Amino acid sequence: MSNSPLVLSNISKNYSGVAALREVSLEVFAGEVHALLGENGAGKSTLMNVASGTTVPDAGTITVDGQVIEKLSPKLASELGIAFVHQHPAVLPDLTVAENILISIPRKFLKSSGSANAAMRTMLDDFGLNVDLKERVSSLSVAQKHLLELAKAFAIRPKILILDEPTAPLGQESVDLLFDRVGRIIKEGTAVIYITHRMAEVRTLAKRVTVLRDGKFRGSSLVSDITDHELLTLIVGRELESTFPAKHVSASSDQEFLRVEKLSSDEFFDISIEAKQGEIIGISGVVGNGQSALLRALAGTASAQGEVTIGGKVYTQKDLINNVAYMPADRHGEGLMMSLSVRENAALKALHSFKSGLLVNRNREVKTVTDSLNSIAVKTASVDTLVSALSGGNQQKVVMTRALLSNPTMLIADEPTQGVDVGARAEIYAILREIAQKGIPVIVASSDAKELEGLCDRVYVMSRGHIVEKLEGEDITEAEMVKAAVASTTLIKQKSENETPQKKSGSIRRFIKGDFIPPVVLSIIMVGLGIYIHSKNGRYTSSFNINSVLQLVAALGFIAVGQTIVMLVGGMDLSVGPMAGFLLIVASFFVHDGSKMTSIIFAFVLMFVLAVGGGAMNGVLIRYGKFTAVAATLTAYIGIQGVSYMLRETPGGYINQNVSAKITGSLGPIPVAFIILGIGSFALEYYVRNSQWGMRLRAVGSDEESARRLGIQINKTVISAYILSAVFAGFGAVMLMAQLGIGDPAQGTSYTLQSITAVVLGGTSLLGGRGSFIGTLFGSMLLIQVLNATTFLGLSQTWQYLFQGLLVIAAAVIYTTTRASKGKK
Amino acid sequence: MSSELIQASTKRLRAIEVSRGMKTMIGALIALAVICEIFVPDSVSKGALLGMLPFAAVLAIISLGQTLVVQQGGIDLSVAGSVSLAVVYVTRLPQQQNSQLWKAVLVALASAVVVGIINGILISRIGINAIVATLGMSSLEYAVIMAISQGSPRRTTNLLNHIAANLFLGIPDSVYFAVIATVLVTLFLKRSISGRRFEAIGASPRAGFAAGLKVQKHQMVAYVWAQLLYCLAGILLAGILTQPTAYQGDSLVFPSVTVVVLGGTSLLGGRGFPAASAVAALFLQQLNQMVLTLNVPFGIRTLVTAIALLIGIALYTIRWELVRARYREFTSKRKVGAVSA
Repeated sequence: MSNSPLVLSNISKNYSGVAALREVSLEVFAGEVHALLGENGAGKSTLMNVASGTTVPDAGTITVDGQVIEKLSPKLASELGIAFVHQHPAVLPDLTVAENILISIPRKFLKSSGSANAAMRTMLDDFGLNVDLKERVSSLSVAQKHLLELAKAFAIRPKILILDEPTAPLGQESVDLLFDRVGRIIKEGTAVIYITHRMAEVRTLAKRVTVLRDGKFRGSSLVSDITDHELLTLIVGRELESTFPAKHVSASSDQEFLRVEKLSSDEFFDISIEAKQGEIIGISGVVGNGQSALLRALAGTASAQGEVTIGGKVYTQKDLINNVAYMPADRHGEGLMMSLSVRENAALKALHSFKSGLLVNRNREVKTVTDSLNSIAVKTASVDTLVSALSGGNQQKVVMTRALLSNPTMLIADEPTQGVDVGARAEIYAILREIAQKGIPVIVASSDAKELEGLCDRVYVMSRGHIVEKLEGEDITEAEMVKAAVASTTLIKQKSENETPQKKSGSIRRFIKGDFIPPVVLSIIMVGLGIYIHSKNGRYTSSFNINSVLQLVAALGFIAVGQTIVMLVGGMDLSVGPMAGFLLIVASFFVHDGSKMTSIIFAFVLMFVLAVGGGAMNGVLIRYGKFTAVAATLTAYIGIQGVSYMLRETPGGYINQNVSAKITGSLGPIPVAFIILGIGSFALEYYVRNSQWGMRLRAVGSDEESARRLGIQINKTVISAYILSAVFAGFGAVMLMAQLGIGDPAQGTSYTLQSITAVVLGGTSLLGGRGSFIGTLFGSMLLIQVLNATTFLGLSQTWQYLFQGLLVIAAAVIYTTTRASKGKK
Repeated sequence: MSSELIQASTKRLRAIEVSRGMKTMIGALIALAVICEIFVPDSVSKGALLGMLPFAAVLAIISLGQTLVVQQGGIDLSVAGSVSLAVVYVTRLPQQQNSQLWKAVLVALASAVVVGIINGILISRIGINAIVATLGMSSLEYAVIMAISQGSPRRTTNLLNHIAANLFLGIPDSVYFAVIATVLVTLFLKRSISGRRFEAIGASPRAGFAAGLKVQKHQMVAYVWAQLLYCLAGILLAGILTQPTAYQGDSLVFPSVTVVVLGGTSLLGGRGFPAASAVAALFLQQLNQMVLTLNVPFGIRTLVTAIALLIGIALYTIRWELVRARYREFTSKRKVGAVSA
């Protein structure tokens, strides 16, 4: 069967006892699109994760090109030509468009049309992605990031291409373009698996369609042989063993109570909702179509344009925050403080009602909370049990208790029964109904249409941020909801559609936001400062002073370059200062006047062996011990300092003068060490931008999860960064040997702060992913210049401290605020 | 059904939760006391204890402030500048005149509030890395110190010396300050409305935001409270030492972080355990005292702090059950390997 490149047979997968897939089979054929349909949780994504090697099935076989694959890994999958474009693009925000391509696509695919740049340009143009290759990906829109991912996947001419809801973030033109490209790639013989919720897309693109439901195979057919109605019956019909409370009986006396008018944001558009007293409103739709964003806006935790009226009063965002109770979908991350007790979680929004005098009255709090918990039958050993010890259903009830105790004017629940067992589900439904009967509007979003069918009095179906259907009374059925969702053809609204031409002068804007503006600004400051000091004191520009300043720069510069490497991976190395000091002490035992050459060589080797060991220890503690970078390197800071003092309580061990002379050797007024540092910084700058190693380093710092998906070995990369940092501290120690001339345990530690200052001045981001060695070099120069300036200007130590503090804070404020649009926290 | 109901236990006992960190530290403290008593009795003599306690009290007060910051996911390295600055204010400004002391104390407190607000704005509003902001701030504080004192503070006023170092019921006054501060901070966190919100945000800023709490404001407040506590510690330290240096805070930065970690508060933020931090301060100070009595070099004392920190972090962050599982897997694999070889 050479024309069916992928066959999945009888695939089963259980997650902690719950079957996600039950004996599902799928056969895809070369040169055609195979659509995969099904509701949320039907098992589509799990099946595709199996096909791409990220999930290992419990049972079943995977056959690629007629070969049964025993164990499919992501790496093997990509070697076999299986490409997967995820719903959430795995891009690296701090890297440029070109770097994002280069890091994930083998070079052989970029050789076709001359230079790699030309090949990449063609590749992007093919998807109408009109962005500069040097553009940082963080400045791309969601749609553009997605197009980039699609372009990358198509460029490697995969044998099997899996597309997961590829049109979700795209506008009309891009959708047309994508369909055209899909048409082209199947002509070239690629098999495409296309996950979607939309019937229209199935009809346009697919030859075959397979439907899953509840992890089971429901049917497969040629698209031409099946009607929409038949497909719909395959999709719907989930069984839900749960009982629902009776619905609201509408009376003529019911008044309109809630009115949402034309609410819009980036993720949802022109949403209008109305509800009468006593009603539960359902928001239906496939996950990720704007429902959660809408609920956050209604809860007041996100801003939106439009008007919300409850009980005749218009609510501002602030009113909403203060009066609306919100139950987020992510219970562990957003709903509860998992490390706090049941009582602390439940009472959080009602603390003011327990207040007596200045303090919270504990007895009253315990009593009220206990009563409330009992009223909805929360099962917990005591009110002071940690909430993390409760079952999912009871945790959700604690969230509800918090809501109830806060006397809300509206209740918003996002996926309220996710991860809740059947028994607790029914109870949660009953509680929601009870709240609604009290006259509090209840809005429930759920991807489970069956749940909304049973629970709600009115349902709005959302698709791509729009309301596409409004259902009432008898019409509230799973089938109607699914039909509305699969039949919708609306597309997301975009403020700046990809097709709009780029702003002019893109390269200037890029330069200003780029990594090379800090060195330029720093040089201007340095020259200005230099001229000023020279005018006050002519000796400032003497070759002696220039030489001694640059010697100091070399020591700091090497250490700061090491710090930069660590910061590129998103870490921080507090131990560089003590490390440099410690290595100096080590040298002071072996490199004396009269020491043998072998002893001196041994000392240098030993210094760097110890540096590698120390750096590796930091890296291992961070990656394998799960220490934070600060915790690990702070421990190292104190520990290394301790060892230094153990080796030498007081200064001692004079460094060999010939060795010192070699280290401080100069070409004219310029120290050789500084020249090496300069060349080294420029070389590293080039290397970190153009080599795979450099890109991996920045990739890890930029977005660890995406980097992992791209197959980068995170542990190795991070540990190597800490080793390099310590090695560069070793170079700094060599400079200190000559500058201090003696093993002094009190020296070195100040370089930690100074190196961080230099790196921050140079514009390297402490969040990781972006930075510049040249910036660090210039940052080191400015810092040393400023410290040196105070002596020439006859300023006291006060000014040294003042300048150092102001420089680092000012630089941090300026860089943080100018790059704030990054959207990364 | 009624059997399943939660009993509204209003027993006072339950009101005092004993955290894991607290249990660990009390256990460690008892063990240390026993070891000292048996092997280094000089380190627990009355004189030694009276010498150690005031410094333990100072470290405890600083650690309370550090705990507040760390539990909000931050870290405050401005302890160095802040403590030194408070020392310099209360020794330099009054010029050994008791009548001027209160003014100096007011200046110190006002300055602490300003520093705290700036730290808070830089870190929680602007979003600067806490290490960078607080190190920079420490530098600025040293600039002020140099401007006021040129690097050499004066002798403490007699009044301050009396307040800080006097014995009441045989215990140094500074200990009472530390105990009162610990009680107040604990009461603030457990029983005041803003303290409860503060704790909830520390436990999960995302959940706090979703619940409509003002996350940034509370994170900022942490830095202000911390500064006030450092200021108190600095004032006491000036009184205890009578002839302090201008760099008195430098040696307290890392111990303050160490005891916070030992007390069970995670450097990633989360729940804060101020009382446990205070007990850990006593532990670390006595550990130091013991090592000091043994007359070992400064290097070893420093190393002891590092090891204490390492153990502290390892205790709470490494997931030991995973390590054990890995080890079992590893050893069983080796056995299999040996058989097949």
